[in-house]
Amino acid sequence: MPTFYYLILSFALFLIGTAGVLLRRNALIALMGIELQLNGGNLAMLAFSRELGDLKGHVFAFFIIALAAAEAAVGLAILVALFRGRQTVNLDEATLMKR
Amino acid sequence: MTFNLRLIPLLPFLGAAILMLFGRKWKRDTVLIVAAGVIAGSCLVAFDAFFTALPGAAAGGGLHDVVGTWIAAGSLKIDLAFRMDALSGLLCLIITFIGFLIHLYSSGYMEHDPDYPRFFAYLNLFCGSMLVLVLGDSLPIMFIGWEGVGLCSYLLIGFWYTSNANADAGKKAFITNRIGDLGFLIGMFLLYHTTGTLNFRDLTAAAVGGGGGLMQISWLGAPVAFWAALFLFVGATGKSAQIPLYVWLPDAMAGPTPVSALIHAATMVTAGVYMVARMHALYLLTPGAMAIVAGVGALTALFAAIIGFAQNDFKKVLAYSTISQLGFMFAAVGTANFDGGVFHLFTHAFFKAGLFLCAGSVMHAMGGSGDITIMGGLRKKIPWTHGVFLVCWLAICGVPFFSGFFSKDSIIGGAFATEVFGQDLAWVGKAVGVVLMLAAFGTAFYMSRLYFLVFSGSETRASDEIKHHIHEPPASMVGPLVVLAIGAALGGFIGLPGGLLDHPEWNLLADRLAPVLGPEMEVAHNTAIGCMVASVILALGGIGLAYLFYGGGYREPARKFAAAMPRSVQLVRDKFRIDELYDRLIIRPVKWLAEKLFFFVDRILIDKILVGLPAAIVDLFGRVARWCQGGDVQRYMAVFAIGAAVIVYFATQPMHAFFSNDLKVTVSGLAVDVDAHRGSKPASRELDYSFEFDDNGKPDLTGTTPTDHHVYAKPGTYTVRVEVKDPNWGTSSTLKQKVEVR
Amino acid sequence: MADPTLGDQLIFWLLAGLTTFFAVFTITRKNPVTAVMSLVATFFCLSGIYASLSAHFLAAIQVLVYAGAIMVLFIFVIMILNREEVAPFSLRPLRVLGVVAVGYLLLKLITVAVGLPHGAPGVLPDDFGTVAAIGDVLFRDFLYPFESISVLLLVAIVGGVVVSRSHQKEAAAEAAAAYRQQIHQMAEHDYPGAPEAPTTPEGHH
Repeated sequence: MPTFYYLILSFALFLIGTAGVLLRRNALIALMGIELQLNGGNLAMLAFSRELGDLKGHVFAFFIIALAAAEAAVGLAILVALFRGRQTVNLDEATLMKR
Repeated sequence: MTFNLRLIPLLPFLGAAILMLFGRKWKRDTVLIVAAGVIAGSCLVAFDAFFTALPGAAAGGGLHDVVGTWIAAGSLKIDLAFRMDALSGLLCLIITFIGFLIHLYSSGYMEHDPDYPRFFAYLNLFCGSMLVLVLGDSLPIMFIGWEGVGLCSYLLIGFWYTSNANADAGKKAFITNRIGDLGFLIGMFLLYHTTGTLNFRDLTAAAVGGGGGLMQISWLGAPVAFWAALFLFVGATGKSAQIPLYVWLPDAMAGPTPVSALIHAATMVTAGVYMVARMHALYLLTPGAMAIVAGVGALTALFAAIIGFAQNDFKKVLAYSTISQLGFMFAAVGTANFDGGVFHLFTHAFFKAGLFLCAGSVMHAMGGSGDITIMGGLRKKIPWTHGVFLVCWLAICGVPFFSGFFSKDSIIGGAFATEVFGQDLAWVGKAVGVVLMLAAFGTAFYMSRLYFLVFSGSETRASDEIKHHIHEPPASMVGPLVVLAIGAALGGFIGLPGGLLDHPEWNLLADRLAPVLGPEMEVAHNTAIGCMVASVILALGGIGLAYLFYGGGYREPARKFAAAMPRSVQLVRDKFRIDELYDRLIIRPVKWLAEKLFFFVDRILIDKILVGLPAAIVDLFGRVARWCQGGDVQRYMAVFAIGAAVIVYFATQPMHAFFSNDLKVTVSGLAVDVDAHRGSKPASRELDYSFEFDDNGKPDLTGTTPTDHHVYAKPGTYTVRVEVKDPNWGTSSTLKQKVEVR
Repeated sequence: MADPTLGDQLIFWLLAGLTTFFAVFTITRKNPVTAVMSLVATFFCLSGIYASLSAHFLAAIQVLVYAGAIMVLFIFVIMILNREEVAPFSLRPLRVLGVVAVGYLLLKLITVAVGLPHGAPGVLPDDFGTVAAIGDVLFRDFLYPFESISVLLLVAIVGGVVVSRSHQKEAAAEAAAAYRQQIHQMAEHDYPGAPEAPTTPEGHH
């Protein structure tokens, strides 16, 4: 398929991910939205990599996956710490900054 | 010739600084040694300068000391420099010598005062400022000293500041002085504007040489010199307590008596006279101004003398006496008798300071009260004080061969004999002379009244409690008294009217002052002797009348007189209610204006608008910033996305239609050249341009060149429309410009 | 590049449609577990798309790491924190505007993408996207980033542990250490010259 279609799909994934991040109150689902965004970026990366015949895109996507793993770990750790203090994962209630 | 003149004011300033920093921790004796020591040092330097160094340098403008450049701004250059000629040297001697005596006196008078070091610090500061005033080489330096003594006067009058009355008196002195200072400043500005210099030597040279710019006609047909002299004199009326700005001096008696003696008798109040003498060349250019000076002086002399008739406070009588005597001095310089004015300044310093210090002694003896109605018979109880007062009293009355006799006489004689007013105003001299004679009679009367009521008689009218405590003051106070009495008695001999006795060189003072003030005034023998006889008669007459009324206490004639004209007596006692008049005319309107201004400017304009508006703006910014940092991550992201979108929108516009119209259109005849370059940089990518010249909706030219040339068929007003498209980003912007083609 | 065959098209549209569907499904679920499952499905479909892009290695990695490890981590955390909230969606105007802004940005990107030159090499080498080829590039040209990523993972682990440690245990450990210190000081006071007691708290939890 022409690259263009894959691009549209990647943009769609990114947009859906953004909507998930911005419009959901549950922090876990917001994190999932971030994963969707990253995957959108991955897809674009791979699509162009195929078009240009260059493997650098694959390597980059690989790094992105590793990064997403690290970020998910830390994000979830933060979430756990947040939950311990407030007993809620509602992002609207997580707006108080450190006293 | 250079001499280390700077030491003369510097030493007292150092003393003041040291005492202000460390005085409180030292013992009384140390404080006195430092304070009196620096004054003594100054005195010694002044003596050395005056008697050894000055005679050689007198012809060349005196001794000179330049410390450095103070102001150098464009064409205005003022040096911090001192100059001692005979005039300023004489005043230096007076200031340092009498200052020293008063320091000694104060050690006894202020013995029980907890603020002893502060007093001496202020006294030193005053002496330093006064010395700067007289030694200054130019008007601004003199003004520094002028302001300095005004400040010290305020500080010392309100020395016992815990009492409201004292603080008010200090404020009154300072504020009234300030009004005069405005006149001084305006005079300075006028002089600088016309002559370009403020240095005394240069000003005198300019004036002596015919005046030049100073004589050009200004407002009301009077030359600039007249106005400059007049405004400077206004400053003098403030500082030297003449009509209309004398009102602060009687109130200033609230300060300690040594202060009254030093500042309000011997030195500060004479600053005005010194200034006029210093600027004599300027005044000689305008007989009109001199007439005003002389007239004001004479009137003040008489006016103050009359008020003195009915005052019941010892120091107040002396205060009005000072005002009156200063009037004499101004009358003298106003009639071009500069020597006479300075001579009277000299003698007055001694006998008035002596009188004031006696007042201090008497009040000390009477337990702090200055009410003469309860005094009397003190002659036997405080003999030393009585002796000094007697000598000074005779001096001020003008009894022959005491110092006041010679100086007052020279003034009155000079007034009658002066020719400075020319033909039209010749009557001024005579009128001044007559008024001064009346004032001299008045002086004799009220001073004698004071003497008789305080010292004569056999019993004191006070309560027993006070009577028991009457005692002579300690030696530290009596010593200076005696020295001053000697000065009051013998000081006149330096100004012997030598001309009268065919030995002009016997007039030591005039001789010394001649290089500065010009030759002594020529007074015809007859006039001089006539004035002398008349003033002696008036003096004795005044004393006699006072004896009649008050000899030995209140007598029948006094009581009858008071009973016959009670309202007039009360009016005089109330100092003609001038203060109340000023209050109604000036102070209340100013206060009203101040209140209104406070309300409108302070409360509304400044607090509400000028402060409130920036505060509201900052608050607004704060609110925005606070909103931005709400802690809500999703808000951050949303703002980030919106911001990025805005930036992308504007960055991808090909022509930034919002911010600048880069369409350059040049018209020549019917042809139009359009240039749609963006700024000065060529486009970094290919843009599509479509030009439209004829308002019909169809583009006339499309392509990738940003310029186009079009010739219109008919003249008229057209709109040139250019649409720029960016194929890459899919954005486009339209620019239009109206064009008039002929 | 050759025209896509019918098979290619079919696979693409199917997988793309499923991906989108599951993605939307993910962000619209109230129940987090459902959302996670849906996300896993999304990843599987994405893996298929990667395969169709000749990115075989990455397809495998996607399933292994993403669907396998990360999502499992998510499920663990969800199990700990499982709560359903009352109103899942927060449709505040600012946020909706944010989504719209992102949409606008993506639209612009599409405009650019359309205009990009399509200079494809045509034929891809046989081993394009295989483990060997990627490994070759990875360990030759990208060795330094590779090692940095491993450090990054270490940092992430440490960070995760530090952020989520329990403060109660730590407080208890510190109290115990302070108590020991106090005892030692009392001993020093009574019997000077006693042997050194530990001065740092032994925090192990």
